[in-house]
Formats: sequence, C-alpha cells, structure tokens
Amino acid sequence: MDEQQLLQRLLAGEQQAFRELVARYQGAMRAVAYAIVGSRNADEVVQDAWLAVVRNLAGFQQRASLKTWLLTITANTAKSRLKQQRREPLLDDLPAPHGSVGTERFAADGHWQAPPSQWEQDTPEALLAASELRECLEKTIASLSEMQSSVLLLRERQGLELEEICNLLDLSLSNVRVLLHRARLKVFATLEHFEETGQC
Amino acid sequence: MLTCQELVAHSSDYLDGQLRLRERIAVRAHLAMCRHCRRFIRQMKVTQAVLRQLPEQSLPELDALADRLAEQRRQQP
Repeated sequence: MDEQQLLQRLLAGEQQAFRELVARYQGAMRAVAYAIVGSRNADEVVQDAWLAVVRNLAGFQQRASLKTWLLTITANTAKSRLKQQRREPLLDDLPAPHGSVGTERFAADGHWQAPPSQWEQDTPEALLAASELRECLEKTIASLSEMQSSVLLLRERQGLELEEICNLLDLSLSNVRVLLHRARLKVFATLEHFEETGQC
Repeated sequence: MLTCQELVAHSSDYLDGQLRLRERIAVRAHLAMCRHCRRFIRQMKVTQAVLRQLPEQSLPELDALADRLAEQRRQQP
C-alpha cells in the first residue's frame, strides 16, 4: 500500500490502516523519543505524539513524507516535554558487553595486530537464524547510551539519512557520525565474538 | 598512506558516503592493498545488514493502541 492510499484509509479511520501505521513507525518514533527524553519518559512521549498525529492528520499537507512528519511531531513532543538538561553527556561512551575495536587490536605502527578473522556465517539471514545471537545483539544495543542506540537504530533499522537524524535530535553532523561509529563498532564486536566463540 | 587503524576510524564515514574525495581515494587505495581491512569493511557491511534485519519486538499492545487511534479519528469531524 503506498502512502497516498494509506493516508486516505487513515483519514477514513480504518482500523487496519492504523495498525499498519503503528507497526511501521512506532519503532522509529520510540527511538527519537528515547534519544531526547530518555527511557523513563519515551513511551509516554510516543503516546502523546500519536494523539497529536491523529488530531492533525486532516491537516497533513504531504510536503514531507509521512515518516518525516511523524518523526518531527515525535521530536517536537519530546522537546516540549524536556524541561531539564540532557540527562547524560552527549558523547558518553559506556562499556559494551564485547567491547569495541580498540587500540589493542593494532600494533604501534597502526597495522592490525589482531586482524578480523574469517566469519563462518557471513550473511545476515544465517546469523539471525541463531536466536541466541538475536538476544545477544539486543543486549549490546541496550548497553549503548540512549543517544548512541537511537542514532544507530534510526540509521540502520529505519534507514534515515544522517541529516534527518541531525535535524530531529538537534545534533551536529560530526556528533551523529561519532555516535554512529562507536555504536557500530560495539555491535561489530558482538558479532565477531559470537563468530569466534559460538556464544554470547 | 593510511594505516589500518586510521582506516577503521574512517570506516563508518566511508560506508555512509561522508568522506571527501581525497579521503575516499586514500581509503580505496588502502583497501586495494590490505586484505585484513577489506575483510573488516565487508564484515562492517554484514553488521549493518544484520541490524537492518534484526526483528523489532512486536508488542501485542500496539494493535490495541492502533485501534484506539482509529476510534479517535472516527470521532473527529
């Protein structure tokens, strides 16, 4: 169903259309809310954002995509909720279960000392077939700072452009790049660990 | 000439198309010569694909939320 059709059915108040909308965008909206207000208030912000979406649906001009519109409403709802400063330093780098790709992997001359080894399973389908790995990845994502995990999910799972993430979360491009890179290396380290040991 | 460590530091920007031309050329030149870094970049791409395909937890309450929203929409003029 394309966006235009979905919109018509939403305007008609069709239950199935709303189920599809929520299933499609709840994850992205939650990631935006989580980044701005933190885990404690994220669910409430998303609820409020959905109510605002329904209230304003008839006025949606389609100048932006539905997704951008939904995420902008979510970000604005979250920002108006946020009265205090950010709860955590923006570039806070928390330890992850399997570490990262740190300096210990390299020799003094900057070449690999412990290079990546061949992965036995090297397609996402084969890797994700292992339920233990799925749980392990969820754990690693949960270990990231709120900002790191949100930026990672918005980029990789939701496919947002870096500029969109900057605008939604009021971050500079260089900060988004740093957050994304650190998060990816931690997920990489989890996959690598799983490939080498077969366990989490 | 980039070192492997520098290549790793640039890897996300490389994958996201954020490098300037000169940096991109340096990364490509390094990759042409270094099989470890080629493998690293390949595995980073697998990492991205895994994240893309990692199933989102589907919550039963989402349908209930959607149904409430549809109801509210129908009540609007």
